[in-house]
Amino acid sequence: MSRAVITGCGVVSALGVGARAFWDALGEGRAAVGPIRHFDASRFPTRVAGEVPVLRTDGAWLREYLGGRLPESILEDWEASGALRDRKIGFGWVAALEAWRQAGCGEDASDTWLSMALGLEQAFLEDFGPLLRKEGARTAINWAAEPGASLPRVRFRSRIDLSADGLVRMLGLSGPVVPHVSACAAGTLAVAHAASLIERGAATRVLCGASDSMVNPLGLGGMSRLGAPSPRAEPDACRPFDRRRDGLAIGEGAAMFVVESEERALARGARPLARILGWGSTQDAYKTTAPLPDGSMARKAMQQALRRAGLSARDIGYVNAHGTGTPLNDPAEARAIREVLGEVPVSSIKGAVGHLMAASGAIEIAACLLPFQRDCLPGTAHHRERDPECDIDVIGERPREARVEAVLSNSFGFGGQNATLILGRGT
Amino acid sequence: MRPVAVIAASAVTARGLGWRGLGRAVRAGDRAATLCKGLGGVLAAQVPSLPAAQDVEPRQLKLMSRGARLSCVAARSLFLESPALPREETGFFLGVGASGGTVKELEAMLDASFSEDRFDLGRFGTSGLGACNPLFAFQLMNNYTLCHAAIREGLRGPNAAIFSRGSGTVLALAEAHHAVAAGDCEVALGGGADSALHPVTWAELRREAGEGVVPGEGAALLALAAPEHARPLGFLERCEVHPGRQGLELALESARRSLQAMSPECVVLTATPNRREAARELATSACPEAIFEASTLFGESLAASAVLATVAALDLLQEGEVCRTAVLVMGPDGDVGLVGLAREVAS
Repeated sequence: MSRAVITGCGVVSALGVGARAFWDALGEGRAAVGPIRHFDASRFPTRVAGEVPVLRTDGAWLREYLGGRLPESILEDWEASGALRDRKIGFGWVAALEAWRQAGCGEDASDTWLSMALGLEQAFLEDFGPLLRKEGARTAINWAAEPGASLPRVRFRSRIDLSADGLVRMLGLSGPVVPHVSACAAGTLAVAHAASLIERGAATRVLCGASDSMVNPLGLGGMSRLGAPSPRAEPDACRPFDRRRDGLAIGEGAAMFVVESEERALARGARPLARILGWGSTQDAYKTTAPLPDGSMARKAMQQALRRAGLSARDIGYVNAHGTGTPLNDPAEARAIREVLGEVPVSSIKGAVGHLMAASGAIEIAACLLPFQRDCLPGTAHHRERDPECDIDVIGERPREARVEAVLSNSFGFGGQNATLILGRGT
Repeated sequence: MRPVAVIAASAVTARGLGWRGLGRAVRAGDRAATLCKGLGGVLAAQVPSLPAAQDVEPRQLKLMSRGARLSCVAARSLFLESPALPREETGFFLGVGASGGTVKELEAMLDASFSEDRFDLGRFGTSGLGACNPLFAFQLMNNYTLCHAAIREGLRGPNAAIFSRGSGTVLALAEAHHAVAAGDCEVALGGGADSALHPVTWAELRREAGEGVVPGEGAALLALAAPEHARPLGFLERCEVHPGRQGLELALESARRSLQAMSPECVVLTATPNRREAARELATSACPEAIFEASTLFGESLAASAVLATVAALDLLQEGEVCRTAVLVMGPDGDVGLVGLAREVAS
């Protein structure tokens, strides 16, 4: 069996563009949730987010980061289609290219698979204008007018796997594309799937990770209607495991990785950033709108991951929690962590970058590389008051220095999907 | 790929509930399309009304897209027919389609958000959001096509939802296969559920799939277990995707080699109109005598197409006329999917 290792990592987040910017900021305990700038959210119930510091993810921005990797004609075509209105498309490309370059992948890597978690389609509500007609007092959509309507080629919404399609063309990938859509667990499942493909010998190299942005009118509005975000439009909107927590902060961004077999990586002189030791997934099968209060299926996902890794609880030196900062998630997760792992340092980066939804698991795996890079455990931005209901060792706002050999990351999705991944030090 | 046993199956299609008889119907070239009022009178393979025992409770419908409802019906049907199947530890890997919120809610939102024919962001924030049911958001979450069924049936094993416009569902079947083969769970469900009858999905499909595409909908599941299972319906021998997004020729060439190695006695194919000729040519290269087009019966059902064709192929095995079948999938995603089924495992 081949052991899977991560040899490249790329990140786009509210903390900046690039993995180094992300790790630097986490290492310094910085946070980046703030007022939304790329559209006018002043009349929305939620007005803050972990927004990537770029106003327009258009062709000009992509040219700056892609460095001519995507032929100009293709980029112009994408821009003209209207697809780049969906910010997650560009985020995914930029993060993937960074990971690809860091891993030292070249033309010979074209057989690479793509295992990518992607968020919901972004709705382009403005596209419906030419189709609306009044039927008495109500407005109806005249679908029959659609074929003739003068609209951009990508109409109504961006297809989920558009970002993946672009990567296939940009990097010349000829392996299968696996678009994971398991909500907030999807990013972790995409990386776990990559490791599984390597271990079972189905793939020699997998570009994996996630990209998402719900920092758009319907994404932000829909989440607000569900009551998930904090009602406070403040930079400390998300306070994971804090007694005063009152909801999440929506985030956006991407984290992508190159995963390959350890032997192959070492043979070509690549430096593994981490080894992927184990993973697990379960379903709460409880309610559509809430996690299992006792955290029992989250616990089981962690146990599965430990078993697959061949590790015991005391081998885990750090836990990157799902830690949404919502009243229901955090106590259930804390209970599960306490029962499985006992006393272990735990943090959540969602106070710093927000909840990246489908990409949350991936960016948290990127955060889990920090302990291996710099012997530093990320802190929990805005965690100030301990909650007795969350009886675990939560790392506060300042990062903690520590050398650890194995770390565990949890991701739990709306709908009850749970995923856990364990990483080990690469070198 | 080590074969695993197919120990139960279910389907909900334009012909109603059940998978038995679908192979015969596909072989006979049956059509199930009827005029669909919701899409302005186009021909569509639409699932008819369903028996209450399998269908979803009305109060749950507000939370569900059409795909989620179909997935729930297929899962309930599977467990009603095979009550001895385990649930708690069972894995679940599903190909799911695009978001599918109800048009009525969308219209209410747009009505409150447009001013003088222009979308008004401020109005959307203050009035548009409040004009629709907050549960609308759950209809938009693709993974709920899996989650509703898992919650309803108590499935707590390993799981993943994979977006599919054809080959994604073959990958979901492959993951279910691997979960069983690797011992991650005793039983895993694999399949897909989708509806191409949502107007936005239909608009996308019409642009991509070429003239003559018939939108369809449905869901189907296979329950997989170790090959030693006492009473298998058949064996899943192969699930593979030959990527065509970089160009169809390479995909067709590698799929041709695989298909010929499978030596199928018949090929059940599902393809969009603009890929049908290439699909038939590919199928002919391995099995010129017996090629059956599932899309004639099921329409283009996107995430459901591959597994609807697979249960039809399983039915042909069960009939006893063939020992080995292949399913060929060429959906709008541009990839080529192959699924191999056999009545017996080669010793």
